[in-house]
Amino acid sequence: MTKSKKKGNFTQLGVLIALLLLCAVISVITGGKFLRVTNLMNVLDQTAFNAMLAIGMLLCLITAGIDLSVGANAVFCSCVGGMLVLRDVSNPILIMAIIIVCGTLVGLINGLLLTRLHLPHPFVSTLGMKNFLWGMALLVTGSTMVSGFPEGVMLLGSKTIGGVKISFILVVILYIIMHVLLTRTALGRSIFCVGGNPEAARLSGIHSANVLTFCYVVSGFCASLAGIITIGRTSICNGADAVNPYDTDAIAACIIGGASFMGGKGTMLGTMLGALIIGTLRNGFTLMAASSAIQNIVLGLVIIVAVFIDVTRERMEAKARRLAAK
Amino acid sequence: MKKRLLAMLLAGAMCAGLAACGNSGGGSDAATTPGPSGSDGAEAGSAYTVDVILKTTASEYWQYVQAGALAYMKDNENVTVHVKGAPSETAYQEQLNMINTDLGGDYDGYVIAPLQAEMVASAIKGQTKPIVAVDTKIEAPEVISFVGTGNESAGALGGAAAVEAAKAAGWTDIKAIEIAGVQGDTTNTDRMNGYMKGIEEAGGDFLETEVQYAEATATKAVDAMNGIMSRYPDGIAIICANNDDMAMAAAKAAKDSGNAAYANTIFLGFDGIQSACDAILDGRLTMSVAQQGYEMGYESVAAVVAALNGEEVASFIDSGADVVTADNAQKRKDTLQGYLDSVK
Repeated sequence: MTKSKKKGNFTQLGVLIALLLLCAVISVITGGKFLRVTNLMNVLDQTAFNAMLAIGMLLCLITAGIDLSVGANAVFCSCVGGMLVLRDVSNPILIMAIIIVCGTLVGLINGLLLTRLHLPHPFVSTLGMKNFLWGMALLVTGSTMVSGFPEGVMLLGSKTIGGVKISFILVVILYIIMHVLLTRTALGRSIFCVGGNPEAARLSGIHSANVLTFCYVVSGFCASLAGIITIGRTSICNGADAVNPYDTDAIAACIIGGASFMGGKGTMLGTMLGALIIGTLRNGFTLMAASSAIQNIVLGLVIIVAVFIDVTRERMEAKARRLAAK
Repeated sequence: MKKRLLAMLLAGAMCAGLAACGNSGGGSDAATTPGPSGSDGAEAGSAYTVDVILKTTASEYWQYVQAGALAYMKDNENVTVHVKGAPSETAYQEQLNMINTDLGGDYDGYVIAPLQAEMVASAIKGQTKPIVAVDTKIEAPEVISFVGTGNESAGALGGAAAVEAAKAAGWTDIKAIEIAGVQGDTTNTDRMNGYMKGIEEAGGDFLETEVQYAEATATKAVDAMNGIMSRYPDGIAIICANNDDMAMAAAKAAKDSGNAAYANTIFLGFDGIQSACDAILDGRLTMSVAQQGYEMGYESVAAVVAALNGEEVASFIDSGADVVTADNAQKRKDTLQGYLDSVK
């Protein structure tokens, strides 16, 4: 146990070093502009949305699954809010409650599709769900942009406490809760177990269907919160936003942070660092006035390098196990 | 040990990536000394750094806007212009991030082409530095001027011209169908409303329920066009598209089908980019309505500088729109190439 913990720490240390190096490079190139407090707060603010989506994504990745509908779900949730505003609902609590219920329900459906209807790998079903939600987001708002949300709904994404956006504080709180859940509870261990070795999990009496469903429900819940955050940040909602690859950003954050497509691995801290790396990169692009082409190229390369590292890490661990067995 | 190696590899790859984008960034903006530029401005009183945030820099049209903004910098030595844009025209949140980041920077003024005007309006609330909206209007007290034509008025201009061309081509029942971009996208909605207005006012019939959404891509426009031809085998007078790519793809699909009823159909594109000029000259596209991107870029930076110098700036600066046909396509093409060459 202690040995594997150390391994995890090493991975996170690597990601932390990468993040610090990245910050150093951007600071040098931009002549220190990056390090200003307002800018650093911007990075946190910009990271919150992706970090929120990455929570659910990490849980799904740990179970060797994936949830490609998180981005579309967040946009759909914001559009559900938009629909309520169009229908003259002005109670912020009610709007947020309905948004959270909708998003969580989508997650539950994703989970049930996988565990009860026995659809193959969630890649397919959640990809279908992504398109479904994209369409639904357009449908509920009549394909128009909606603004005029009540202040209460926008609180989460727009207000600050001590200079830090509430959205980011919420993200940190959720990361701590999820960290405790993953490392200190039976449920957390079951999640890792289901991902690492489903057969062993079954034999040891873990009800894997329920565990898997739980992960997708959490994913949907986090997506709904991300939807509320985006309403606060942008003050609008628009179904066309679902075209953006928010899911890949969330996956990239998890993989950079040490999660694996093979399942059974990943930490909340690593994922947070991964999300911060992506946020920092995007912030750096703006500070350096990088062209759209360069932005896409560099982000694409980072994702490829992260997956490459995942595969290499896997191979090296397998080799280490073989050597240890000799 | 190997873990560390991997960590180094990851860090190295990122730094390399950043260095690469740092270099290219240097190519497009001349500000290589970020530190002192602010203090210079204070001393000389007339050296300005203007931040231009466009919808994207990844399309030909926006490159003309970029060229115009940079041309202003070339003409005025005391003005430094930084141009940037979101990765795509639907990346609202990304553009918001850029605006938030830059509002905390050392800029003297801003030019913004908003992907979602209301989103930008709330982001710039309380700003005191001059902000000019380009291409798309921002309704906010912080914005001192709007430079552009508006997609809607340009669309109306193109729609009216298409109806006239259809009449000249011998159509009596002038029906029009639009092949549109991304549903819900503001630009898309504005252009559609413009087309509808222009076509109906000129005596045509805009079939609103038949609008085909092709996500602004040529591939989907071909599918949409094939669908239209199946539904209307007797021909449609006007096919108007949200951009030139889709208009050209639709025209090609109609030609490939060999349906004689579509031989005289007017294919109307939007943007008037160089490849569209070529297509118009070759007869692969009938016409295209164009906003003047270069002028917009140039005029918007000029407006910010004028405001910084304490001059009066008009709240609306019309950069004009133009319909490109076989008569003027060659001239436009040469002008556009000249713009791109001028900033290289």
